[in-house]
Amino acid sequence: MKVSHMFHSLALVGALALGSFASVAQADVLANITKANTIKIAVPQDFPPFGSVGADMKPTGYDIDVANLIAKELGTKVELVPVTSANRIPFLTTGKVDLVISSMGKNPDREKVIDFSAAYAPFFNGVFGPADVKISKPEELAGKTIGVTRGSIEDLELSKIAPSSATIKRFEDNNGTITAYLSGQTQLIATGNVVAAAVNERTKLRSLSVKFLVKNSPCFVGLAKGETALQTKVNDIIQKAKKSGALNEISKRWLHASLPTDL
Amino acid sequence: MAYHFDFNFVPDYAGMLAHGIGYTLGLTLLGGTLGTLIGIGGAISRTWNVRPFAGLYRCYVELFRNTPFLVQLFLIFFGLPSLGIKLTEWQAAILAMVLNLGAYSTEIIRAGLQAIPKGLIEASESLAFTRWQTFFYVMLRPALLKVWPALSSQIVITMLGSSVCSQISAEELTFVANFIQSRNFRAFETYFLTTAIYFALAVIIRQALAAIGRYAIARRPQA
Amino acid sequence: MMMTFTLWDIIRNLAISGLLTIVLSVAAFVFGGLAGLAVLFARISKIRAINASARLYIEMFQGTPLLMQLFILFFGLSLFGLDLPAWLAAGVGLTLFTSAFLAEIWRGCVESVPRGQWEASTSLAMTYAEQMRHVILPQAMRMAIAPTVGFAVQVVKGTAVTSIIGFAELTKTGSMLSNATYQPFLLYSLVALGYFILCYPLSWYAQRLERKVHAPRTN
Repeated sequence: MKVSHMFHSLALVGALALGSFASVAQADVLANITKANTIKIAVPQDFPPFGSVGADMKPTGYDIDVANLIAKELGTKVELVPVTSANRIPFLTTGKVDLVISSMGKNPDREKVIDFSAAYAPFFNGVFGPADVKISKPEELAGKTIGVTRGSIEDLELSKIAPSSATIKRFEDNNGTITAYLSGQTQLIATGNVVAAAVNERTKLRSLSVKFLVKNSPCFVGLAKGETALQTKVNDIIQKAKKSGALNEISKRWLHASLPTDL
Repeated sequence: MAYHFDFNFVPDYAGMLAHGIGYTLGLTLLGGTLGTLIGIGGAISRTWNVRPFAGLYRCYVELFRNTPFLVQLFLIFFGLPSLGIKLTEWQAAILAMVLNLGAYSTEIIRAGLQAIPKGLIEASESLAFTRWQTFFYVMLRPALLKVWPALSSQIVITMLGSSVCSQISAEELTFVANFIQSRNFRAFETYFLTTAIYFALAVIIRQALAAIGRYAIARRPQA
Repeated sequence: MMMTFTLWDIIRNLAISGLLTIVLSVAAFVFGGLAGLAVLFARISKIRAINASARLYIEMFQGTPLLMQLFILFFGLSLFGLDLPAWLAAGVGLTLFTSAFLAEIWRGCVESVPRGQWEASTSLAMTYAEQMRHVILPQAMRMAIAPTVGFAVQVVKGTAVTSIIGFAELTKTGSMLSNATYQPFLLYSLVALGYFILCYPLSWYAQRLERKVHAPRTN
């Protein structure tokens, strides 16, 4: 495999160029959190109702409430780091945050690079568009333009099921995807059902009605690979919040519905 | 755990990378050509104070040189539809490239025209050159030749700046890098490779422009 | 959960983030200038190895997109245990970028000092340092002021790219507000206006300086 040799040597050059000293000190993230008395959590700021900014530019939403809940249970301060769908996994794999609570779905590719907690929020993604566009299944997307956020579960699913004549426009963040739809740059978008509802609630520019749902893809907390101590802890907190009704409160507040019992 | 570099994904995405390189080169080629033409028009209007173009060009140049390319791109792609002007991401990216480069090349070429000695123009008139001949052979060509290196650098800078077009879903080289990165999560390798490709493109474009300067502009007029 | 933004909220938030843009620009310009001076001396050094490495440094930063430089600094270095937060990555990235461009601009100025000046000062038995300090640099500096001020505009505009790595400066705040208010045309127009207010005076001043330097000296 000559080509692969070439890339190995390229890799070596890369390593040398930056001086391949040490590595990320991934001893035990939980211990580091306790020591620093702060947990760094990646949250969305362009994805209502999970995370969006208010007039004071502070993020609020379902994911932010969950982040605060976890920090409170851990007894540490919380530092919220706004991320986009496209860069949240690099933030985690490069050690810039301890947890990603950013309405993230689970799939096998992601499980190769990061670990997941138990599910903490329901999420159904689908294709949405103006009420008068008659579409009810993926085949009917032929010839249409669909906006989607790069690297999201919607992107990965749509890339598989959309016919080849459909144009998928991938934006860097949800802000781009939603703005492109509202300004008429794309005919349809693929996003979450509650996200479409939140956008409808906030603007009358262009309504979003559901065309078809693609996947039930609940949200999970993302963790760096192999952080079992932290993973156990986060799972315990989520279980406890499900039992005590704290998570249900968050769901009612932001999604206007109780948590589904099968979550 | 030490980080293990893994560039084995590259062959799988070679087609996409080629597509991204083509897109970036297309943007640069069209942006460079049309931008230079706009610049020639602007430089002429401003040098001879052709109304109302001189004033319009002045505003245009100041507006585009004093705002970031990324913001121009956002305004064209996300903002203009609310005025009823809808452009695809490709058209928006091209328009932003052309307008941006046009503003810079106007000023660059204008400086070249101003550097032509007045005596030369008078001399060519006394040699019974037509106005067009005087303008083309005595003014524009020498001016372009003189500012060609500056214009070439500006084209390379604009090419490198086109990396932000990924933000409006234009599928250029950075878009491809981000796409690959969102599929295989090999952020560092992907960006490292892409940076190297940009560097190679910058070198190639610089050489190509230098060659154009030598052969197309410096060439003596055919008798 | 309807959130309402008044025009005042929008302008106030943009103005606050505009301050961050100014701080980042000034920091990048000052540190980039200092680093650029070091690169300049390396670049005009007579020692080949130093000269060549300075050239490579300049070529690398001038030949790759600022966005890629920021991505590598922000995500790449973390893999080696060097974790830069967004503001620091933005500052370091812009500083390196600025230093490469300024060094190259200044080199042009140093080289445009006529050869005769070097020869004359050599014949006065001046050392290299003395030549630089008393003869070459004062003349080069006079020529360097206008393009240096002009380049400051590029630094201010360059800060917009740092929005993509999540630094909440003017452009990023504009995007966030555009997403919260669904008024992209208004928001991006205001953002563009903000940059124009910051950049136009610099451009205007640079042009004025340029005319002054090129004007024939009468006295």
